[in-house]
Amino acid sequence: MTIPDANAATSRRLLRAWALLVGLTVISLTVSLGFGQAETGLAAAAISLTASYFKASAVLDHFLDLRRAGKGWRGFFSTMLVVLLGGLMATYVAAG
Amino acid sequence: MTKPQTIEPEGEWGALSSLPGNPLMWVLIISELLVFGAFFLGFGVARVLHPDLFRAGQAMLDIRLGGLNTLILVTSGWLAAKAVQARAHGDVAVSRRWAAGAMALGVAFLVVKGVEYADKAAHGIGIETDTFFTLFFLMTGFHAMHVIMGLVLLAIVAWKNSLENMETGAAFWHMVDLIWLILFPIVYLVR
Repeated sequence: MTIPDANAATSRRLLRAWALLVGLTVISLTVSLGFGQAETGLAAAAISLTASYFKASAVLDHFLDLRRAGKGWRGFFSTMLVVLLGGLMATYVAAG
Repeated sequence: MTKPQTIEPEGEWGALSSLPGNPLMWVLIISELLVFGAFFLGFGVARVLHPDLFRAGQAMLDIRLGGLNTLILVTSGWLAAKAVQARAHGDVAVSRRWAAGAMALGVAFLVVKGVEYADKAAHGIGIETDTFFTLFFLMTGFHAMHVIMGLVLLAIVAWKNSLENMETGAAFWHMVDLIWLILFPIVYLVR
């Protein structure tokens, strides 16, 4: 791959990551606003937090370029996100 | 007789050496994620203890403003990544323009946050209103301070525009973005 090709490929990858972030944000907003200003419900909470996981992963992999690091680092950050978002989902369920 | 200085070998940072940009920035990123993570879990536990208070507090937040700020910040993150890409190809002027765009959106984020805080103040809501709003102002305020710090850092690396500087400044900015992507759903959406 030539340097201009590699540059164009990076541009496309970054643009796709941005589009994914915008798309997932719009989905989260639609799901939550669909339930008005009251409670969102379990399904909407799960969708919002799952979207958050994929958005955070996209920022790490593409904007922070973590995909260049080894599997160990990607696994570390992924585990950190799962524990945090899973813990937050658990507290939401516990709050009833 | 002075001892001759040795050149540090590659991989001096151990496992951190495989991470892109300055390893110390990654130490900061991990530390910040752990601090904010503990904060967020504390928010979750407080919700368990005061579910009705949190429902009432969250109902007073404007999801659309939070959503707008999310779109602003992810777009700003994209521009910061483009600034790094341009610098990696040796184009300093273009890199500075992308960084300026990222900073402009960072300022827009703070303006929206200011509008939100002003609205709360107009309704007599402050940091001492109740547990929910204490945590709301502490978490969003602490994050906003990181946005301001990120703006300063982006300005410095745009000025002193080496590839490592730009990668490091952008990494801090993405960390601020990352924290917001977790803060936004738990404070505004999950209710």
